[in-house]
Amino acid sequence: MEFGSTEGTPRGLFTCELCELTTPFTYYGQKPPNTRAIVLLEECYVMKDPFCPEKEKFLVLGSTCSLCHKTVCVGADCSLFYTKRFCLRCVREHLDQFPPPIQAELMKKKPTGKTPGLASS
Amino acid sequence: MMESDRRRDSRTWDWDSSQCRAQLDEVFFRPHDYIQTGSLEHKEFWSFFDRFQRFKGKRDMSLSKGSDEVKDGNQESKSRKKASVDLGLPKDYDARYRINVSVCTRDVEERLGVSERRRQTSSGPGKEEVATCRLTLLHFLDFCQRQSFCKLAKLRREQKSLPIFQYRDRIVELVRTHPVVVVAGDTGCGKSTQVPQYLLSSGFSHIACTQPRRIACISLAKRVSFESLNQYGSKVGYQIRFETTRTPATKLLFLTEGLLLRQIQQDAELGQYQVLIVDEVHERHLHCDFLLGVLRSLLRLRQDLRLVLMSATINIKLFSAYFDEAPVLQVPGRLFPIQVIYQPIPPEEQPSRSEKLDPRPYLRVLQGIDQRYPIEERGDLLLFLSGVAEISTIQDACQTYATHTRRWIILPLHSTLSLAQQDKVFDIAPPGVRKCIISTNIAETSVTIDGVRFVVDSGKVKEMSFDPKAKMQRLQEFWISRASSEQRKGRAGRTGPGVCYRLYAESDYEAFAPYPVPEIHRVALDSLVLQMKSMGLGDPRSFVFIDPPPAASIQTALTYLKEQGALDGHAELTSIGRLLSQLPVDVVIGKMLVLGSVFSLVEPVLTVAAALSVQSPYLRSAQHNPDCATARQPLYSNQGDPFTLLNTFNTWVQVKAERGGGSRKWCRRRGIEEQRLYEMVNLRRQFKELLKSHGLLAAEQGATCWRDRQQRRQRLGERKKLHQLKRDHDLQEGNRRKVLRLEEGEEGVGSSGSEGEEEGRERRGKDGAGQSVDIQEVKFKLRHNVTELQEAAGASRDLSSRQQALLKLVLCRGLYPQLALPDEHNATRKDSEQIFHTRNKQGVVIHPTSVFASDPEVLHVPEQEPRETGPEKGESSRHQLLAFVTLLETNKPYVTNCARVPALQALLLVASSVDTNADCTRVVVDGWLELTLSDAEAALRSISSALTLRDDWERLLQAQLRNSATGPAAPAVSHKDLGKLSEGLVRFLLYTEAASTLLNKVSYGLRRLGGLESQNLYVGPQQVPGLPDAPALNPLFPGIKAEPHPVKGGLRVTGFFTYNCLSDSKDMYSECLRTFWSCPHCDLYMPLTPLERMHHEATCRPAGELQPKEEPEDGKAASSSSSSSSLTRVYHCDVCDKDLTLTSTEILKHKRQHL
Repeated sequence: MEFGSTEGTPRGLFTCELCELTTPFTYYGQKPPNTRAIVLLEECYVMKDPFCPEKEKFLVLGSTCSLCHKTVCVGADCSLFYTKRFCLRCVREHLDQFPPPIQAELMKKKPTGKTPGLASS
Repeated sequence: MMESDRRRDSRTWDWDSSQCRAQLDEVFFRPHDYIQTGSLEHKEFWSFFDRFQRFKGKRDMSLSKGSDEVKDGNQESKSRKKASVDLGLPKDYDARYRINVSVCTRDVEERLGVSERRRQTSSGPGKEEVATCRLTLLHFLDFCQRQSFCKLAKLRREQKSLPIFQYRDRIVELVRTHPVVVVAGDTGCGKSTQVPQYLLSSGFSHIACTQPRRIACISLAKRVSFESLNQYGSKVGYQIRFETTRTPATKLLFLTEGLLLRQIQQDAELGQYQVLIVDEVHERHLHCDFLLGVLRSLLRLRQDLRLVLMSATINIKLFSAYFDEAPVLQVPGRLFPIQVIYQPIPPEEQPSRSEKLDPRPYLRVLQGIDQRYPIEERGDLLLFLSGVAEISTIQDACQTYATHTRRWIILPLHSTLSLAQQDKVFDIAPPGVRKCIISTNIAETSVTIDGVRFVVDSGKVKEMSFDPKAKMQRLQEFWISRASSEQRKGRAGRTGPGVCYRLYAESDYEAFAPYPVPEIHRVALDSLVLQMKSMGLGDPRSFVFIDPPPAASIQTALTYLKEQGALDGHAELTSIGRLLSQLPVDVVIGKMLVLGSVFSLVEPVLTVAAALSVQSPYLRSAQHNPDCATARQPLYSNQGDPFTLLNTFNTWVQVKAERGGGSRKWCRRRGIEEQRLYEMVNLRRQFKELLKSHGLLAAEQGATCWRDRQQRRQRLGERKKLHQLKRDHDLQEGNRRKVLRLEEGEEGVGSSGSEGEEEGRERRGKDGAGQSVDIQEVKFKLRHNVTELQEAAGASRDLSSRQQALLKLVLCRGLYPQLALPDEHNATRKDSEQIFHTRNKQGVVIHPTSVFASDPEVLHVPEQEPRETGPEKGESSRHQLLAFVTLLETNKPYVTNCARVPALQALLLVASSVDTNADCTRVVVDGWLELTLSDAEAALRSISSALTLRDDWERLLQAQLRNSATGPAAPAVSHKDLGKLSEGLVRFLLYTEAASTLLNKVSYGLRRLGGLESQNLYVGPQQVPGLPDAPALNPLFPGIKAEPHPVKGGLRVTGFFTYNCLSDSKDMYSECLRTFWSCPHCDLYMPLTPLERMHHEATCRPAGELQPKEEPEDGKAASSSSSSSSLTRVYHCDVCDKDLTLTSTEILKHKRQHL
């Protein structure tokens, strides 16, 4: 019990289906533990922020794409949040529905060389 | 009315006012909120707020210009989406939609009616302000998330890019299926950081990973806990001599090889670990080789144990074969290409043996780099030399060049530099300037410096070896091995392509030995053999080492340990030996501790033992600085270096108690490396705890110090504050590399710079961190109770001359047989030409760091000797010897850490072999020192008292040790007995017993025996002229049977004393000659032979004093005496015609009746 509270017991491994980033997560949902005031607007894979000494600080690792339901990390090369989570593949497919700033952003980014390559391997 | 109020509010609202911000803090950053007022994040939020508002301001401006365009685009996209699914996205873009977090703060709670309606106070944030703050907070949270996630992603990317990453599954699989696995990979493959993590994350737990160096344990534990996302937890920890971060939650522990061995000593099966990783096995350190041997046999006991050996790709077969052909996984390294240039030194620039190094070949390389590589191409130079003297020669020459060109900063690197100076090699050179680091082989493995592009390799190394014949360590220069050569070269290719200049020919390289000589083949094995004995590993000669040391080396160690009393005649541990094996120090230092604990000298002995076990705190570089020398003067003791160290430590503790962190300055003034004093204080405490746990030291009444509740609370509060300071320091650590000044090297050359430099460093530190925390001081205060220490230091500060004499004796007995005799002609020589002789090595000199190097006169025999008592030339009562800690040969054989002791007294009390002629006027100690006493009465008196004192001392020591073996109970030795003994010893050292004539007035000659003389020293067994009187055969001391010495002849009276065995006895009758003598303790007055007198003195004690018969020697006593007392024997009196059971003195008395 003590163990869990200090070290954070992993509930499983989170793996991004696009970039394969893998890391253990300690909570899945919208209400990270020990954070009274915080509500997430989507169901997320969460861990204690490993780069922060306070134990109630959390880090969102990723969530599920609202369209294709792939598990994706929050990295800018894999997904974006715009009222909902979209993996970048789905964003590209439906780019026309996104507002211009996002369109411009993705144009600049171009099809990133790394991400799809890693995903297919 | 409300309207106008509001307007006035917003007009008075000022985002920059701290009051206004504080009002928002009450809405958003309450104590139970995610971010609290006053926290680090809170501060960061407000600085983010400023940036964010500025950014928004700019964007709004540019947006208003191009707003039409955006609208057009929007319409266009709307028209295009016909066929696809409607995602239901909001039509107008707002950055807020990109944030997946929402925060419930006071304003929201109020809106939801949790509390009463917003109070309309005259001032306070309006709706708008709250909204602005709220939006910024959301962006801030999003920003923080992104920041941390980027860190995580980068970490994972770097892990993936390491060469070893591809072998991850293979490694885990091999460890699952094999008891032993060898992972071989070169620099940069990532094995040290990754392999433990792979095992950890695939479900292994209780993993220990050993490192040859403490510093590596700390840095690896830090890195691995960061990489395994446990930076602030304790899943990954380290444990070194005085520090540990281990908790019950620790699953992966980095520790030193030596420490793991100690743990095995405590728990032979090592049940606490499931996996052992032994890193850097190719370095072949003594402890590592031994550890492998121990683990090899442990594997047979523990089928479930997993062992992973990690090595560079050097000699891998050796390790695999040693562990029954264990599987080897070879991982390529990650080094950039390195160009090798052979530039052998031309013959005219080769230094001859005695000369200084010629700097020209080295300067040519610097010039070459300046010519060939544009200054914009960064990259530093690392130059490998064999030793400190060489470094300073080349440093001087390079510095001249650097001052001239202003393109180089020259920095030396070796272990005797202050830590601050060592640390400089990690700082950054300013643009247009390169660092030139001139280093010993410390930079080959122990210290890794990034940014090195050029390496210059002299091909030489100085290595310690042990000469068992002279019992001397030797620091000699050798060619390096091919493996070292490659390692040095590799240092140029860590961060980019590099160049390695080898100052030898390719053919030389081909002729190098493939690997360095393993440590086990080079050093004294005393401690190793002792440890093996205590671990019950049987005969060290038959232990299966990976690369067995020469049998002679083990034999030397066994003999030495027997001499030291740690092993008995059957090479089994004695009780003192068992204790010594628990102490992590040299045998001689351990002996000191044990001996000191018997007397009430614990505090000073603890300090001295600790001081002699760490590097000297006195910086060599400050020695020629006149200011330092003056400031040091009051600390020096002409009794010897251990006393100087004792003074230094005690004064430092005093300074610490009075001025806390001010001690740093105090040390700097005196050219003292404070780190060494911190090490001493830690070591001292460890010794104390060890002595306590072995019952040699009564558990302290320490509780009384804090009995006051108030005081205790205060201390607790203080500790809390200190812990916070330490945490803050740890957080700030890293990324603190400073930019070097061009002048950096210039001040450092040779000597005096250290003060100014460090002063400068501190200033810079202050600029950087706001306030500079002396982390060592914080750690010190956390670990030690200054008041307690101060008391202890006080106790050993003003030693009386009696205590000092006793302390010296303890040192001397501890250090024995490390004694040196001043040469008889020293008085006529220059200070720098004083020479000394040890038993096995003639012509040694005192190391320049010793107090005696600058003040050798105190060792000379005074000229003005009373002629009338000492008729023979060279006789004196003031002969002295040097007891020393190490004998090390560099260019000359040096003795270091010396103390002076009175020769006759010290020898009689500590030597393991004392031989005399019939009237004891000629004494030969250990077969090499001859003492001649012209006064036969004084001679006999001295020897007789020495015998008695040693007997008492031994008995008390044994009783104490027996007690420690059975566990700390009541003290086995009464204070009274101890007091009597120390009284006796002091009197022997300083005065004589009864006659009120000073023993140090006993004049004697002292000289070293020549080779031929020591060969024909003894009469030998065949020449014993029939056995003398019957009483002589009687045991003189309980448990020891006096019998003819099998080799020397004469009569072995005690373990160390053989009577009348010297071959040059002037007369045959002295031993039968009776002289009238009166016993100071009883009323006996009668003519006695020398032996009879000794015998009487040994058994006759003043009433009330300990009587020898009370403490029979264990084991031996039973065999030597069949009757009630070992001292009595059956005596047949011819006059009475009766068999009487009497002691020999009683027999004498009985005989007298009939006269």
